[in-house]
Amino acid sequence: MGYEWDFTVVLRDFDLLLLGLLNTLKVTGLALLFGVPLGLTLALLRLYGNWLVRIPVGLVIEFLRSTPPIAQLFWFFFALPILVGVEMDPFKASVLTFSLQSSAFFAEVFRGGIVSIDRGQWDAAKALGMSRNETLQRIILPQAVKRMIPAFLERAIELMKTTTLVGTISYADLLYEANSIAQSSYRTLEVFTVAAAMYFVVIFACSVAVQLLEARLTRPDESARH
Amino acid sequence: MEEVLRIEDLHKSFADLAVLKGIDLAVNRGETIVILGASGSGKSTLLRCVNFMEIPSSGRIVMNGRAVGRAVDGKQTYSEKELTRLRARVGMVFQHFNLFPHMTARENVMEGPRTVLKLDPAECARRADTYLDKVGLAWKADAHPSELSGGQQQRIAIARALAMEPEVMLFDEATSALDPELVGEVLGTMKELADEGMTMLIVTHELGFAYTVADRVLFLSEGRILEQGTPAEVLTYPTQEGTKNFLRGHGSFRLPEPQLD
Repeated sequence: MGYEWDFTVVLRDFDLLLLGLLNTLKVTGLALLFGVPLGLTLALLRLYGNWLVRIPVGLVIEFLRSTPPIAQLFWFFFALPILVGVEMDPFKASVLTFSLQSSAFFAEVFRGGIVSIDRGQWDAAKALGMSRNETLQRIILPQAVKRMIPAFLERAIELMKTTTLVGTISYADLLYEANSIAQSSYRTLEVFTVAAAMYFVVIFACSVAVQLLEARLTRPDESARH
Repeated sequence: MEEVLRIEDLHKSFADLAVLKGIDLAVNRGETIVILGASGSGKSTLLRCVNFMEIPSSGRIVMNGRAVGRAVDGKQTYSEKELTRLRARVGMVFQHFNLFPHMTARENVMEGPRTVLKLDPAECARRADTYLDKVGLAWKADAHPSELSGGQQQRIAIARALAMEPEVMLFDEATSALDPELVGEVLGTMKELADEGMTMLIVTHELGFAYTVADRVLFLSEGRILEQGTPAEVLTYPTQEGTKNFLRGHGSFRLPEPQLD
């Protein structure tokens, strides 16, 4: 194999790749910022709402989880503006899609975490005279969130990788920039190698950071009973 | 004698299964009542109805002369707010301790005063010190539950309930999950409370403890009080066949007084 690697093109346009990465992080970060609290809300509604709330919320979650994200993205970018007449640019549509899409997954992570907490914890809090909200805030969620960290990290990584779809509606994320540099320079191999490495560095760094955090948080107190 | 708690014609069913079939009981302030009975006799359910962990199917709970809930069409109805207020005045200790694992011993004890009673931090701290000291675990204040033995965890759980300064304490098989050598320290703490005049309802299988500490022993069978009286009356001279059978089962293997010197 006599392929000659040449990274000069990549280096020349590296600032474009960095801008793309910044946009990727922007969409991912905002989707997390909106998606996590929304996910918690959906989880609580699904767990503790009456059936009039529980059933539609469950349907929305299942719908978001079982339709392709690219279909959702197209729907919010092309269909929603026609339906309700709002202006949609690629950035807004991307943030909206991935906030909602990831909220459905986070809802399930939260729900799993909450129901995994021993019933005795609810009993103890109730016997002290705590309300359900107090119990959730003070007793259940702090424990559940710790258990959820691995699943949460998994979803966040998945989310960042899924945001590569935003290029399809011309939002200039890292993959989109890589693609356009590759097309103009014909240095496909180099460009995508570097782009992949950039995804790897960011995701791997986050992953290590979260694992350190998890080790720190769960040190003293897991498995308290017996 | 001053009556703290009265249970009137209490019934509780789970779906089709009737667990309590009419319990009447008046508890005086400072009284220690031990509730005995085979498993499935309704002992735990009775305790859990007193602080409305379970809502009674019918009947009334009267605390300090006031019935809990409102009678609507001859049936008691309860508001969640009233029930949380009531639970704050009744302490409960569980078989599996149920300490909050993400908090230290001290934080466990302060949680009720802080979150439920909304006391100021100084008073919460004072109560934590007082009750950790009372159960002899002030030196473990900063330990997490996972760093404590079962007996220590249960004593912290007792301190957590006491920090609410309740009018009645309920013990639901508080020593059943403990290794035998750890049972004594928990029973010792409970006896001290009884001696100090705490009003207590205790479900246990420790007959020796019942005999020594109880003012009154109830024997529950199939959701009814089959027999009650002083420890001597119920445990030494039982009159009902059900009680006798229960005691026979417990007395099959007896140890002569160990010589420990």
